[in-house]
Amino acid sequence: MDKVSAIRPGRRCGTEVGVISAVGASLVYRDHEREVFACSSVDIEVVPGEFLGILGPSGSGKSSLLYLLSGLKMPTSGSITFEGQDLHQLNDAQRAETRLTSFGFVFQYPYLLGYLNALENVMVARPESDFREQAKALLVSLGLESKLGRLPHELSGGERQRVCVARALLGKPKVIFADEPTANLDHANGIQVVQLLNQHRGDGSLVMVTHDPSMLAEADRIVRLEDGHLAP
Amino acid sequence: MNPLGTLIYLRRNASRTLPLMGVIVLAVLLICAIVSLINSIPLSVKTIYKYTSLMMGVTPRGEADRTPQIKRIIENECPVPIGRLALCRASSTEVQALVGKWQFVVIAFDRPDLEYVLKRMGTTSLVGRLPEVGRPEAVISEPVSRNLKLKLGDILLGPDRQDAYSPQNVKVVGIAKTANWFMFADREYYTANHFPPIDFILVTAKNPARQAEMDRWALRRFKGDRTQVISYLEIERQANEMFKTLYKILDVVIGILVVVITLMMGMLINIYLGQRTHEFALLQALGYSTKALVIRVIKETALVVMGGWLLGVMCSIAMLNVVDHWLMYPNAYALDITDRTALAYTIPVPIAIFSAALLTLWTRFRRFDPVGVVERRLV
Ligand SMILES: Nc1ncnc2c1ncn2[C@@H]1O[C@H](COP(=O)(O)OP(=O)(O)OP(=O)(O)O)[C@@H](O)[C@H]1O
Ligand SMILES: [Mg+2]
Repeated sequence: MDKVSAIRPGRRCGTEVGVISAVGASLVYRDHEREVFACSSVDIEVVPGEFLGILGPSGSGKSSLLYLLSGLKMPTSGSITFEGQDLHQLNDAQRAETRLTSFGFVFQYPYLLGYLNALENVMVARPESDFREQAKALLVSLGLESKLGRLPHELSGGERQRVCVARALLGKPKVIFADEPTANLDHANGIQVVQLLNQHRGDGSLVMVTHDPSMLAEADRIVRLEDGHLAP
Repeated sequence: MNPLGTLIYLRRNASRTLPLMGVIVLAVLLICAIVSLINSIPLSVKTIYKYTSLMMGVTPRGEADRTPQIKRIIENECPVPIGRLALCRASSTEVQALVGKWQFVVIAFDRPDLEYVLKRMGTTSLVGRLPEVGRPEAVISEPVSRNLKLKLGDILLGPDRQDAYSPQNVKVVGIAKTANWFMFADREYYTANHFPPIDFILVTAKNPARQAEMDRWALRRFKGDRTQVISYLEIERQANEMFKTLYKILDVVIGILVVVITLMMGMLINIYLGQRTHEFALLQALGYSTKALVIRVIKETALVVMGGWLLGVMCSIAMLNVVDHWLMYPNAYALDITDRTALAYTIPVPIAIFSAALLTLWTRFRRFDPVGVVERRLV
């Protein structure tokens, strides 16, 4: 298993066109001595600037794949490379730095820090003061200009998710990962969040996971996951 | 302004951080109070009997007629130049200490000796007058008047007083302004009225700085004799010996207190960190390394702990001042409000709590999976 992950990255090094490439990536959970393959031998590339939709039923391994691609989880076997660099070979601090500067995240649940206002929550993604104006501009363009100073508990669910969207967009990351960002919202709000992400991502890629095909109307490419495998 | 700055979290979550600080403040206050109070006991001994450091007493045991012999020995053999050698009489009485009543002596002098000794005691001024020869009168020092609540004209000793007996009522006729404690009366009155009929000797070194040297000589010279040497040296040694056990107990008590407070604070900090799991998971998922998060929390904890300790120290100093002003000074109880040892005893508190915080941090972050939290599988 370890041998495989050690050999694979070298073989394809430098040849991929994707900003992120997964080669034979598997994620195995151990559940009472039984192995659960959340992802098994997934090969996928995220092309720069594309909107990639990942569709699949519950439990099919969509979140797991997203965590692998974003370096939040290490593959049990196979490799994940970001701009030719194997994420596995970076240390914790370097991986974290990559996530902070090159990736953006929107989670299913709109996690915000309760003691920071909307603007400050956005700034958490890039706390350097140079990003303050950009953070403000993002919130304004997401229709939150009158709510910059509000604390999360003073915002509606949709507004909170929009703050999360702004946080993911801050610093113009190369890849934005969104894991069911619409699951906690009504349909109209869900569509709006996806549209906002798509409109403001600039040159960055957007990788979005969902079980709702209607959210992927604007996607450039859609792949399907079934039981941890990419469906043909 | 960095939204993840150290002070921002502490300020905006004051309802969580202030109670933590409060516990530390209370702990410091408690330890400081206990230690200062205990310290005040040996300090009282040393303050109350401080006058013996300015003169040495030598008294025959049992045989009243040995006094002239002792006097000759001192005059002929003492290597330290003598300032004055006075024959006196004495009777016992009591003063009030924080922990109960303590023995004290009223010393009766001849008039010229009395005048000399008053000066030796550092008297700067006298309210009232000196006792008249042969009369039941006394001069006391200012701390004694405060301690026993005696004003001019009040009765110091009397026939119906068990602990402060004299056949006639002995009135306070003078109050001497000095920090030393003493009660002096007239020798002629004592010779005529007091038992036992023993003259004892008070000797001063010409140079007060050499008094201890004289004491040491006398303790050696009269060792094994039927003679008692009363010196500050001996009182100090006895006090230190006596309070050794007390200090051992104090160390154990403070030790237990620190352990208990640390355990409690460790648990509180653990809960407090537990409430922040979502924050840590989110930040880690967004791209903050474990190291960066740990450093941030360590900074916050250090600030809370050090802040709590400093606040505690300030409160303690304030408390000592208040206690001194309202309780100790009016009764002339000894209390060192600049007591460094009391503050030193509180130093283990922040260190232990900080260590406990590091331990809980380490156990929390050792196997921390941000995905589990962000996915809402945990917490
Ligand atoms: N920590 C874990 N331990 C054991 N099994 C796990 C763990 N996390 C996920 N799994 C399993 O891995 C599989 C894929 O999970 P994953 O969360 O990726 O699914 P998903 O497609 O995101 O589902 P959903 O749409 O419900 O979010 C599931 O069968 C799940 O039970
Ligand atoms: Mg999921």
